[in-house]
Amino acid sequence: MISSDSHEVSQLNELKIDLDAISVIAHYNGNSSIIMDEQMPIFGGYAGGVEETAIVDIATHINAFVMSNATWHLDGPVHIRWGSTNTRETLMIAGWTCATISEFTDMLSGNQYYPCAGPCTEMCLLEASAQSMTDTASGREILSGVAAAKGVVQDKTTGMEARMMGEVAKATAGMEIGEVNKILDSLVKLYENDYAKAPQGKTFQECYDVKTITPTDEYVSVYDDARKKLEELGLVF
Amino acid sequence: MTYSRSMDCYEFYDRAKKGEKMSQDDWDLMTIPMKSMELKQKYGIDFKNQFVPTDKDMMSNLFKAGFEMLLECGIYCTDTKRVVKYTEDEIWNSINNVQKEFVLGTGRDAVTVKKRNVGDKRKPIVQGGPTGSPISENMFMPIHMSYALEKEVDTIVNGVMMTVRGKPPIPKSPYEILAAKTETRLIKQAAAMAGRPGMGI
Repeated sequence: MISSDSHEVSQLNELKIDLDAISVIAHYNGNSSIIMDEQMPIFGGYAGGVEETAIVDIATHINAFVMSNATWHLDGPVHIRWGSTNTRETLMIAGWTCATISEFTDMLSGNQYYPCAGPCTEMCLLEASAQSMTDTASGREILSGVAAAKGVVQDKTTGMEARMMGEVAKATAGMEIGEVNKILDSLVKLYENDYAKAPQGKTFQECYDVKTITPTDEYVSVYDDARKKLEELGLVF
Repeated sequence: MTYSRSMDCYEFYDRAKKGEKMSQDDWDLMTIPMKSMELKQKYGIDFKNQFVPTDKDMMSNLFKAGFEMLLECGIYCTDTKRVVKYTEDEIWNSINNVQKEFVLGTGRDAVTVKKRNVGDKRKPIVQGGPTGSPISENMFMPIHMSYALEKEVDTIVNGVMMTVRGKPPIPKSPYEILAAKTETRLIKQAAAMAGRPGMGI
């Protein structure tokens, strides 16, 4: 890695750190590296509810710049039951935290993507889209993902999910916030009752030609269907 | 009170050696839940089911609550079991001196990350990748290449290689170091094969 790559150090849940991380920060400072301070506050964890977790998330953002001398903070409010960043609650925590940080500071912030569903499924693409809309509208500087299937199953992640994250961000940039909230409410309703039975999707090997790194016709078709659904909700690509 | 010097990791380390002692359970189960609930009530914070806020007064209250959370609680060091506290001026000094932009990557593949605002017309930077997902050794390069080939993607975020030379990268073993170095080299190679050798990671 070179100094113009992001060098990660992680805080611990919630508002905690270990001394190894402090030594890592000294190393990054010594090399003039870009420092990415990471932490994913847990909704339903030590802090509790939506607003309480957002309060901790604001404190965590600020601490990234006080303790870690961060260049940017990588956020990722996550649901304790579903292990997802795309639920209604975690999107609200992310949206409010980022908008507040954007409004009152110059701190730079990213967000991580952990949908419940796996690649080559409409649900996965819709989950990623909801977070991309929330992040883009609330002033987030970096969208980081997508760790499909909650980021826990081997090889279940592909470039197509990131394409959707980017396309939706482009479509959302500059939209009126009231309209974003309206679409988000309808969009989250499309998948929020399906977390327990989220489709597991396919591995990279199953949804790409590995030699040419090309998505299968099936995945392109699933992608098109998800895009159409977003257009029906009012998103203009 | 005016700070004597800006906060840094060295000062943090010194304070972690002599701050107030506390058990981790007290921190996790008392300090964090009690203080966050108290501040929610003190500032009357209610998101009213909105995803992205439009109420600037409520956002101001949320900022005050988050600031106060850090000021009054501090940070718990799990190794020394002590609490590191900051002064109000030290926190403001850090907030007021952040970088407003920086560059990720090199050459024509470099991208500038700049501060955005609520409702900003500019698209955010897209950091595509498995974001810590487990990736098999033989699929590591093709999977990361699938991101580098997407024009919507500006920089790469890595997955975690499950084996290196066929062995699991057990923490604190030489295989852990080899896996970390190999991940970086393969991602750089994947970006180069996608025609974007300067992509930041």
